[in-house]
Amino acid sequence: MTWHADASLLARYAAGSIDDARASSVEAHLVACADCRQAVATTVDTTRLDAIWAEVTDTVDAPRPRLVERFLRRIGVRDHVARLLAATPSLRLSWLLAMTASLVFVAAAASEGSRQPVLFLVVAPLLPVAGVAGAFASAFDPTYELATAAPMSNVRLLLLRAAAVMATTTLLAGLAAFALPVLDWTAAAWLLPSLGLTLASLALATWLTPEAAAGAVAAAWIAVVVASAGAADDRLAAFHAAGQVGCVVAVAVSALVLVRRRAALEVRRAL
Amino acid sequence: MGTSDDDGRTDAQLLGAVADGARSAMHLLYRRHAPWLVLRLSRRCADPGLVDEVVQDTFVAVWRRPGGYRGTGEVAAWIWGIGVRRLIDGFRRQPARRLPLVDANEPVPSAEEQVLLGVEHGDLAGALNSLSPELRAVVQATVLDGLTTREAGRLLGIPPGTDKTRMMRAKPLLREALV
Repeated sequence: MTWHADASLLARYAAGSIDDARASSVEAHLVACADCRQAVATTVDTTRLDAIWAEVTDTVDAPRPRLVERFLRRIGVRDHVARLLAATPSLRLSWLLAMTASLVFVAAAASEGSRQPVLFLVVAPLLPVAGVAGAFASAFDPTYELATAAPMSNVRLLLLRAAAVMATTTLLAGLAAFALPVLDWTAAAWLLPSLGLTLASLALATWLTPEAAAGAVAAAWIAVVVASAGAADDRLAAFHAAGQVGCVVAVAVSALVLVRRRAALEVRRAL
Repeated sequence: MGTSDDDGRTDAQLLGAVADGARSAMHLLYRRHAPWLVLRLSRRCADPGLVDEVVQDTFVAVWRRPGGYRGTGEVAAWIWGIGVRRLIDGFRRQPARRLPLVDANEPVPSAEEQVLLGVEHGDLAGALNSLSPELRAVVQATVLDGLTTREAGRLLGIPPGTDKTRMMRAKPLLREALV
Protein backbone atom coordinates (compact mmCIF):
# COMPACT_ATOMS: atom_id res chain seq x y z
CA MET A 1 0.00 0.00 0.00
CA THR A 2 1.60 3.26 -1.07
CA TRP A 3 -1.03 5.74 0.08
CA HIS A 4 -1.26 6.48 3.80
CA ALA A 5 -3.43 8.83 5.76
CA ASP A 6 -1.15 11.57 7.08
CA ALA A 7 -0.81 12.19 10.80
CA SER A 8 -2.89 15.38 10.86
CA LEU A 9 -5.75 13.74 8.96
CA LEU A 10 -5.74 10.82 11.40
CA ALA A 11 -5.60 13.23 14.36
CA ARG A 12 -8.57 15.19 13.05
CA TYR A 13 -10.44 11.94 12.38
CA ALA A 14 -9.81 10.77 15.94
CA ALA A 15 -10.95 14.12 17.29
CA GLY A 16 -14.13 13.89 15.22
CA SER A 17 -13.42 17.16 13.48
CA ILE A 18 -13.52 16.18 9.81
CA ASP A 19 -16.55 15.92 7.56
CA ASP A 20 -18.33 12.64 6.94
CA ALA A 21 -16.94 12.07 3.46
CA ARG A 22 -13.33 12.41 4.58
CA ALA A 23 -14.05 10.34 7.70
CA SER A 24 -15.50 7.59 5.52
CA SER A 25 -12.41 7.70 3.36
CA VAL A 26 -10.19 7.31 6.44
CA GLU A 27 -12.34 4.47 7.73
CA ALA A 28 -12.20 2.60 4.44
CA HIS A 29 -8.41 2.93 4.49
CA LEU A 30 -8.09 1.86 8.14
CA VAL A 31 -9.80 -1.44 7.38
CA ALA A 32 -7.04 -2.27 4.91
CA CYS A 33 -3.96 -0.66 6.48
CA ALA A 34 -2.34 -1.97 9.66
CA ASP A 35 0.18 0.88 9.78
CA CYS A 36 -2.49 3.56 9.88
CA ARG A 37 -4.50 1.52 12.39
CA GLN A 38 -1.46 1.55 14.64
CA ALA A 39 -0.90 5.25 14.05
CA VAL A 40 -4.46 6.10 15.02
CA ALA A 41 -4.32 3.77 18.04
CA THR A 42 -2.11 6.20 19.93
CA THR A 43 -4.94 8.74 20.05
CA VAL A 44 -7.20 6.51 22.10
CA ASP A 45 -6.96 6.69 25.89
CA THR A 46 -5.10 3.59 27.11
CA THR A 47 -6.85 3.47 30.50
CA ARG A 48 -10.16 3.29 28.65
CA LEU A 49 -8.86 0.46 26.45
CA ASP A 50 -7.46 -1.39 29.46
CA ALA A 51 -10.80 -1.08 31.27
CA ILE A 52 -12.67 -2.58 28.31
CA TRP A 53 -10.09 -5.38 28.03
CA ALA A 54 -10.60 -6.19 31.72
CA GLU A 55 -14.35 -6.47 31.09
CA VAL A 56 -13.71 -8.72 28.09
CA THR A 57 -11.56 -11.14 30.09
CA ASP A 58 -14.05 -11.11 32.97
CA THR A 59 -16.90 -12.00 30.63
CA VAL A 60 -14.98 -14.78 28.90
CA ASP A 61 -13.68 -16.24 32.17
CA ALA A 62 -17.07 -16.25 33.90
CA PRO A 63 -18.78 -19.64 33.69
CA ARG A 64 -21.58 -19.53 31.15
CA PRO A 65 -24.99 -20.38 32.58
CA ARG A 66 -26.25 -23.75 31.41
CA LEU A 67 -29.08 -24.11 28.91
CA VAL A 68 -31.76 -24.73 31.55
CA GLU A 69 -30.65 -21.68 33.54
CA ARG A 70 -30.62 -19.40 30.50
CA PHE A 71 -34.08 -20.65 29.54
CA LEU A 72 -35.42 -19.99 33.05
CA ARG A 73 -34.00 -16.46 33.02
CA ARG A 74 -35.46 -15.86 29.60
CA ILE A 75 -38.96 -16.71 30.84
CA GLY A 76 -38.57 -14.31 33.75
CA VAL A 77 -37.36 -16.44 36.67
CA ARG A 78 -35.12 -14.41 38.97
CA ASP A 79 -31.37 -15.11 38.73
CA HIS A 80 -30.77 -16.82 42.08
CA VAL A 81 -33.88 -18.99 41.78
CA ALA A 82 -32.87 -19.92 38.23
CA ARG A 83 -29.40 -20.94 39.41
CA LEU A 84 -30.78 -23.10 42.25
CA LEU A 85 -33.38 -24.70 39.99
CA ALA A 86 -30.86 -25.36 37.24
CA ALA A 87 -28.65 -27.16 39.76
CA THR A 88 -31.44 -29.67 40.43
CA PRO A 89 -29.90 -33.06 39.57
CA SER A 90 -33.07 -34.40 37.98
CA LEU A 91 -33.40 -31.36 35.73
CA ARG A 92 -30.14 -32.23 33.99
CA LEU A 93 -30.52 -32.85 30.32
CA SER A 94 -28.91 -36.31 30.52
CA TRP A 95 -31.35 -37.40 33.22
CA LEU A 96 -34.38 -36.06 31.36
CA LEU A 97 -33.29 -37.65 28.09
CA ALA A 98 -32.70 -41.03 29.72
CA MET A 99 -36.11 -40.92 31.40
CA THR A 100 -37.93 -39.95 28.23
CA ALA A 101 -36.11 -42.54 26.17
CA SER A 102 -37.03 -45.36 28.54
CA LEU A 103 -40.62 -44.18 28.68
CA VAL A 104 -40.86 -44.07 24.88
CA PHE A 105 -39.55 -47.64 24.73
CA VAL A 106 -42.13 -48.75 27.30
CA ALA A 107 -44.87 -47.03 25.33
CA ALA A 108 -43.72 -48.52 22.05
CA ALA A 109 -43.48 -51.96 23.66
CA ALA A 110 -47.19 -51.75 24.46
CA SER A 111 -47.92 -52.51 20.83
CA GLU A 112 -45.98 -55.78 21.00
CA GLY A 113 -48.21 -57.73 23.38
CA SER A 114 -51.67 -56.64 24.36
CA ARG A 115 -53.32 -53.52 22.98
CA GLN A 116 -53.51 -52.13 26.48
CA PRO A 117 -50.61 -49.90 27.53
CA VAL A 118 -50.63 -51.09 31.13
CA LEU A 119 -46.86 -51.03 31.53
CA PHE A 120 -46.71 -47.44 30.30
CA LEU A 121 -49.45 -46.43 32.72
CA VAL A 122 -47.60 -48.03 35.61
CA VAL A 123 -44.22 -46.48 34.75
CA ALA A 124 -45.24 -42.97 33.64
CA PRO A 125 -46.46 -41.79 37.09
CA LEU A 126 -43.21 -43.04 38.64
CA LEU A 127 -41.16 -40.68 36.46
CA PRO A 128 -41.95 -37.52 38.47
CA VAL A 129 -41.65 -39.50 41.72
CA ALA A 130 -38.10 -40.49 40.81
CA GLY A 131 -37.38 -36.98 39.59
CA VAL A 132 -38.55 -35.35 42.80
CA ALA A 133 -36.59 -37.84 44.91
CA GLY A 134 -33.55 -36.98 42.80
CA ALA A 135 -34.17 -33.29 43.38
CA PHE A 136 -34.26 -33.87 47.14
CA ALA A 137 -31.56 -36.42 47.79
CA SER A 138 -28.50 -34.74 49.25
CA ALA A 139 -26.25 -37.42 47.73
CA PHE A 140 -26.98 -36.19 44.19
CA ASP A 141 -27.19 -32.48 44.86
CA PRO A 142 -24.03 -30.53 43.98
CA THR A 143 -25.38 -27.41 45.71
CA TYR A 144 -26.47 -29.22 48.89
CA GLU A 145 -24.17 -27.34 51.26
CA LEU A 146 -24.76 -24.08 49.42
CA ALA A 147 -28.52 -24.44 49.50
CA THR A 148 -28.50 -25.33 53.19
CA ALA A 149 -26.56 -22.17 53.97
CA ALA A 150 -28.51 -19.97 51.54
CA PRO A 151 -30.75 -17.25 53.00
CA MET A 152 -33.78 -19.00 51.55
CA SER A 153 -36.14 -21.46 53.16
CA ASN A 154 -35.16 -25.04 52.35
CA VAL A 155 -38.79 -26.05 52.09
CA ARG A 156 -39.40 -23.32 49.56
CA LEU A 157 -36.43 -24.45 47.51
CA LEU A 158 -37.49 -28.09 47.68
CA LEU A 159 -41.05 -27.32 46.65
CA LEU A 160 -39.83 -25.06 43.85
CA ARG A 161 -37.61 -27.82 42.58
CA ALA A 162 -40.33 -30.43 42.99
CA ALA A 163 -42.73 -28.25 41.00
CA ALA A 164 -40.18 -27.67 38.24
CA VAL A 165 -39.34 -31.38 38.05
CA MET A 166 -42.99 -32.36 38.05
CA ALA A 167 -43.81 -29.91 35.30
CA THR A 168 -40.98 -31.06 33.03
CA THR A 169 -41.40 -34.79 33.64
CA THR A 170 -45.16 -34.57 33.16
CA LEU A 171 -44.59 -32.77 29.90
CA LEU A 172 -42.08 -35.42 28.79
CA ALA A 173 -44.39 -38.28 29.81
CA GLY A 174 -47.15 -36.56 27.88
CA LEU A 175 -44.93 -36.44 24.79
CA ALA A 176 -43.91 -40.07 25.28
CA ALA A 177 -47.60 -41.02 25.35
CA PHE A 178 -47.69 -40.26 21.63
CA ALA A 179 -45.59 -43.37 21.10
CA LEU A 180 -48.52 -45.48 22.36
CA PRO A 181 -50.14 -47.68 19.72
CA VAL A 182 -53.66 -46.44 20.47
CA LEU A 183 -54.38 -42.87 21.52
CA ASP A 184 -57.52 -43.03 23.68
CA TRP A 185 -58.34 -42.16 27.30
CA THR A 186 -55.60 -44.51 28.53
CA ALA A 187 -52.95 -42.19 27.09
CA ALA A 188 -53.85 -39.65 29.79
CA ALA A 189 -54.90 -42.02 32.60
CA TRP A 190 -51.49 -41.67 34.27
CA LEU A 191 -51.87 -37.95 34.97
CA LEU A 192 -53.79 -38.08 38.26
CA PRO A 193 -51.82 -41.08 39.59
CA SER A 194 -48.67 -39.16 38.74
CA LEU A 195 -49.75 -36.16 40.81
CA GLY A 196 -50.97 -38.37 43.68
CA LEU A 197 -47.82 -40.48 43.82
CA THR A 198 -45.50 -37.49 43.71
CA LEU A 199 -47.30 -35.67 46.51
CA ALA A 200 -47.48 -38.89 48.52
CA SER A 201 -43.73 -39.36 48.18
CA LEU A 202 -43.20 -35.74 49.29
CA ALA A 203 -45.46 -36.28 52.31
CA LEU A 204 -43.65 -39.51 53.20
CA ALA A 205 -40.34 -37.68 52.91
CA THR A 206 -41.28 -35.79 56.07
CA TRP A 207 -40.65 -39.09 57.89
CA LEU A 208 -38.25 -41.01 55.65
CA THR A 209 -35.32 -40.07 53.41
CA PRO A 210 -36.46 -38.95 49.93
CA GLU A 211 -35.05 -42.11 48.33
CA ALA A 212 -36.84 -44.40 50.79
CA ALA A 213 -40.07 -42.44 50.41
CA ALA A 214 -39.94 -42.74 46.62
CA GLY A 215 -39.16 -46.46 46.85
CA ALA A 216 -42.03 -47.09 49.26
CA VAL A 217 -44.49 -45.18 47.09
CA ALA A 218 -43.36 -46.99 43.95
CA ALA A 219 -43.67 -50.40 45.62
CA ALA A 220 -47.12 -49.55 46.99
CA TRP A 221 -48.27 -48.29 43.58
CA ILE A 222 -47.18 -51.43 41.75
CA ALA A 223 -48.79 -53.61 44.43
CA VAL A 224 -52.11 -51.71 44.12
CA VAL A 225 -52.14 -51.98 40.30
CA VAL A 226 -51.36 -55.72 40.37
CA ALA A 227 -53.82 -56.48 43.17
CA SER A 228 -56.73 -54.56 41.61
CA ALA A 229 -56.01 -56.12 38.21
CA GLY A 230 -56.18 -59.59 39.78
CA ALA A 231 -59.34 -58.86 41.75
CA ALA A 232 -61.32 -57.31 38.89
CA ASP A 233 -59.82 -59.49 36.15
CA ASP A 234 -59.02 -56.31 34.20
CA ARG A 235 -55.43 -55.25 33.67
CA LEU A 236 -56.46 -51.59 33.74
CA ALA A 237 -58.68 -51.85 36.83
CA ALA A 238 -56.61 -49.36 38.81
CA PHE A 239 -57.06 -46.66 36.15
CA HIS A 240 -60.88 -46.64 36.00
CA ALA A 241 -63.10 -44.20 37.88
CA ALA A 242 -62.55 -45.67 41.33
CA GLY A 243 -58.80 -45.59 40.90
CA GLN A 244 -58.83 -41.99 39.67
CA VAL A 245 -60.97 -40.94 42.65
CA GLY A 246 -58.49 -42.75 44.89
CA CYS A 247 -55.74 -40.64 43.35
CA VAL A 248 -57.65 -37.44 44.08
CA VAL A 249 -57.98 -38.54 47.71
CA ALA A 250 -54.25 -39.31 47.80
CA VAL A 251 -53.51 -35.82 46.46
CA ALA A 252 -55.70 -34.19 49.13
CA VAL A 253 -54.33 -36.24 52.03
CA SER A 254 -50.72 -35.79 50.93
CA ALA A 255 -51.14 -32.05 50.48
CA LEU A 256 -52.61 -31.81 53.95
CA VAL A 257 -49.77 -33.83 55.48
CA LEU A 258 -47.25 -31.74 53.58
CA VAL A 259 -48.69 -28.46 54.86
CA ARG A 260 -48.88 -29.71 58.46
CA ARG A 261 -45.44 -31.30 58.55
CA ARG A 262 -43.45 -29.05 56.24
CA ALA A 263 -41.14 -28.06 59.08
CA ALA A 264 -39.97 -31.69 59.29
CA LEU A 265 -38.75 -31.39 55.70
CA GLU A 266 -36.57 -28.48 56.72
CA VAL A 267 -35.07 -30.32 59.71
CA ARG A 268 -34.49 -33.55 57.78
CA ARG A 269 -32.63 -31.75 55.06
CA ALA A 270 -30.44 -29.70 57.33
CA LEU A 271 -29.31 -32.81 59.22
CA MET B 1 -1.38 -7.22 6.57
CA GLY B 2 -1.64 -6.53 10.25
CA THR B 3 1.99 -7.07 11.21
CA SER B 4 3.12 -3.64 12.27
CA ASP B 5 3.81 -4.45 15.94
CA ASP B 6 6.64 -6.54 17.36
CA ASP B 7 4.77 -9.76 16.77
CA GLY B 8 5.30 -11.05 13.24
CA ARG B 9 2.05 -12.96 13.01
CA THR B 10 -0.81 -11.79 10.80
CA ASP B 11 -4.29 -11.19 12.18
CA ALA B 12 -5.51 -14.42 10.59
CA GLN B 13 -2.70 -16.37 12.28
CA LEU B 14 -3.58 -14.74 15.60
CA LEU B 15 -7.20 -15.82 15.15
CA GLY B 16 -6.00 -19.36 14.61
CA ALA B 17 -4.03 -19.14 17.86
CA VAL B 18 -7.11 -17.78 19.66
CA ALA B 19 -9.07 -20.79 18.41
CA ASP B 20 -6.40 -22.97 20.07
CA GLY B 21 -6.92 -21.08 23.32
CA ALA B 22 -3.98 -18.64 23.25
CA ARG B 23 -4.88 -15.75 25.52
CA SER B 24 -1.86 -13.66 24.53
CA ALA B 25 -2.90 -13.83 20.86
CA MET B 26 -6.32 -12.51 21.83
CA HIS B 27 -4.77 -9.64 23.76
CA LEU B 28 -2.59 -8.75 20.80
CA LEU B 29 -5.61 -8.78 18.48
CA TYR B 30 -7.38 -6.50 20.93
CA ARG B 31 -4.46 -4.07 21.01
CA ARG B 32 -4.38 -3.95 17.23
CA HIS B 33 -8.09 -3.56 16.63
CA ALA B 34 -9.81 -2.07 19.67
CA PRO B 35 -8.55 1.53 19.18
CA TRP B 36 -9.85 2.10 15.66
CA LEU B 37 -13.07 0.29 16.58
CA VAL B 38 -13.58 2.72 19.48
CA LEU B 39 -13.05 5.69 17.14
CA ARG B 40 -15.22 4.38 14.34
CA LEU B 41 -18.08 3.50 16.70
CA SER B 42 -17.77 6.89 18.39
CA ARG B 43 -18.57 8.58 15.08
CA ARG B 44 -21.88 6.70 15.10
CA CYS B 45 -22.79 6.79 18.78
CA ALA B 46 -22.57 9.80 21.07
CA ASP B 47 -22.65 7.72 24.26
CA PRO B 48 -19.13 6.56 25.22
CA GLY B 49 -20.64 4.08 27.67
CA LEU B 50 -22.49 2.32 24.88
CA VAL B 51 -19.37 2.40 22.67
CA ASP B 52 -17.38 0.67 25.43
CA GLU B 53 -20.11 -1.94 25.83
CA VAL B 54 -20.18 -2.62 22.10
CA VAL B 55 -16.38 -2.92 21.88
CA GLN B 56 -16.48 -5.33 24.81
CA ASP B 57 -19.26 -7.43 23.24
CA THR B 58 -17.44 -7.48 19.93
CA PHE B 59 -14.18 -8.83 21.34
CA VAL B 60 -16.00 -11.34 23.53
CA ALA B 61 -17.67 -12.58 20.33
CA VAL B 62 -14.30 -12.72 18.53
CA TRP B 63 -12.80 -14.66 21.42
CA ARG B 64 -15.64 -17.17 21.61
CA ARG B 65 -16.00 -17.73 17.90
CA PRO B 66 -12.75 -16.98 16.08
CA GLY B 67 -13.86 -19.52 13.46
CA GLY B 68 -16.48 -17.01 12.32
CA TYR B 69 -13.72 -15.42 10.23
CA ARG B 70 -13.83 -17.29 6.94
CA GLY B 71 -10.17 -16.78 6.10
CA THR B 72 -10.73 -14.34 3.25
CA GLY B 73 -10.64 -10.55 3.35
CA GLU B 74 -9.42 -8.28 6.10
CA VAL B 75 -9.84 -9.40 9.71
CA ALA B 76 -10.57 -5.73 10.48
CA ALA B 77 -13.56 -5.79 8.10
CA TRP B 78 -14.88 -8.91 9.84
CA ILE B 79 -14.47 -7.27 13.26
CA TRP B 80 -16.25 -4.13 12.05
CA GLY B 81 -19.11 -6.30 10.78
CA ILE B 82 -19.55 -7.73 14.27
CA GLY B 83 -19.13 -4.34 15.94
CA VAL B 84 -21.62 -2.36 13.87
CA ARG B 85 -24.26 -5.05 14.31
CA ARG B 86 -23.72 -5.04 18.08
CA LEU B 87 -24.13 -1.27 17.97
CA ILE B 88 -27.45 -1.68 16.17
CA ASP B 89 -28.51 -4.17 18.86
CA GLY B 90 -27.50 -1.61 21.49
CA PHE B 91 -29.61 1.09 19.83
CA ARG B 92 -32.55 -1.30 19.68
CA ARG B 93 -32.29 -1.87 23.44
CA GLN B 94 -31.93 1.85 24.18
CA PRO B 95 -33.19 4.00 21.31
CA ALA B 96 -32.54 7.16 23.34
CA ARG B 97 -28.77 6.68 23.04
CA ARG B 98 -28.68 7.02 19.26
CA LEU B 99 -26.53 9.81 17.85
CA PRO B 100 -28.63 12.64 16.48
CA LEU B 101 -28.18 12.75 12.71
CA VAL B 102 -27.40 16.44 12.63
CA ASP B 103 -25.05 17.91 15.19
CA ALA B 104 -26.25 21.40 15.93
CA ASN B 105 -22.82 22.56 17.13
CA GLU B 106 -21.00 21.56 13.98
CA PRO B 107 -20.23 24.50 11.66
CA VAL B 108 -21.88 23.47 8.40
CA PRO B 109 -20.96 25.25 5.18
CA SER B 110 -23.98 26.19 3.12
CA ALA B 111 -25.40 23.50 0.87
CA GLU B 112 -25.08 25.64 -2.25
CA GLU B 113 -21.42 26.18 -1.57
CA GLN B 114 -20.85 22.47 -1.23
CA VAL B 115 -22.77 21.57 -4.36
CA LEU B 116 -20.87 24.14 -6.36
CA LEU B 117 -17.56 22.84 -5.06
CA GLY B 118 -18.58 19.28 -5.82
CA VAL B 119 -19.65 20.03 -9.36
CA GLU B 120 -16.57 22.08 -10.06
CA HIS B 121 -14.05 19.48 -8.94
CA GLY B 122 -16.15 16.41 -9.68
CA ASP B 123 -14.84 14.92 -6.45
CA LEU B 124 -16.63 12.29 -4.40
CA ALA B 125 -16.05 14.05 -1.10
CA GLY B 126 -17.67 17.23 -2.32
CA ALA B 127 -20.51 15.29 -3.87
CA LEU B 128 -21.11 13.37 -0.66
CA ASN B 129 -20.91 16.49 1.44
CA SER B 130 -23.41 18.24 -0.80
CA LEU B 131 -26.07 15.75 0.19
CA SER B 132 -28.35 16.60 3.08
CA PRO B 133 -27.15 15.07 6.36
CA GLU B 134 -30.07 12.61 6.36
CA LEU B 135 -29.26 11.41 2.86
CA ARG B 136 -25.53 11.29 3.52
CA ALA B 137 -26.07 9.14 6.61
CA VAL B 138 -27.96 6.59 4.54
CA VAL B 139 -25.31 6.50 1.80
CA GLN B 140 -22.65 6.08 4.45
CA ALA B 141 -24.44 3.25 6.24
CA THR B 142 -25.34 1.26 3.14
CA VAL B 143 -22.45 1.92 0.76
CA LEU B 144 -19.50 2.46 3.09
CA ASP B 145 -20.48 0.46 6.20
CA GLY B 146 -21.86 -2.37 4.12
CA LEU B 147 -25.14 -2.64 5.98
CA THR B 148 -28.40 -3.84 4.50
CA THR B 149 -31.13 -1.21 4.21
CA ARG B 150 -32.91 -2.86 7.16
CA GLU B 151 -29.80 -2.66 9.35
CA ALA B 152 -29.06 0.88 8.19
CA GLY B 153 -32.59 1.81 9.18
CA ARG B 154 -31.98 0.46 12.67
CA LEU B 155 -28.64 2.21 12.96
CA LEU B 156 -30.15 5.55 11.96
CA GLY B 157 -33.48 5.04 13.67
CA ILE B 158 -35.63 5.30 10.56
CA PRO B 159 -38.03 2.75 9.07
CA PRO B 160 -36.51 0.60 6.27
CA GLY B 161 -38.92 1.92 3.64
CA THR B 162 -37.80 5.49 4.29
CA ASP B 163 -34.21 4.37 4.04
CA LYS B 164 -34.69 2.88 0.57
CA THR B 165 -36.50 5.99 -0.63
CA ARG B 166 -33.68 8.21 0.64
CA MET B 167 -31.10 6.02 -1.08
CA MET B 168 -32.97 6.27 -4.35
CA ARG B 169 -33.07 10.02 -3.96
CA ALA B 170 -29.33 10.12 -3.22
CA LYS B 171 -28.21 8.30 -6.35
CA PRO B 172 -29.28 10.84 -9.00
CA LEU B 173 -28.08 13.68 -6.77
CA LEU B 174 -24.65 12.12 -6.45
CA ARG B 175 -24.45 11.35 -10.14
CA GLU B 176 -25.38 14.93 -10.94
CA ALA B 177 -22.75 16.25 -8.57
CA LEU B 178 -20.01 14.03 -9.97
CA VAL B 179 -20.56 14.60 -13.68
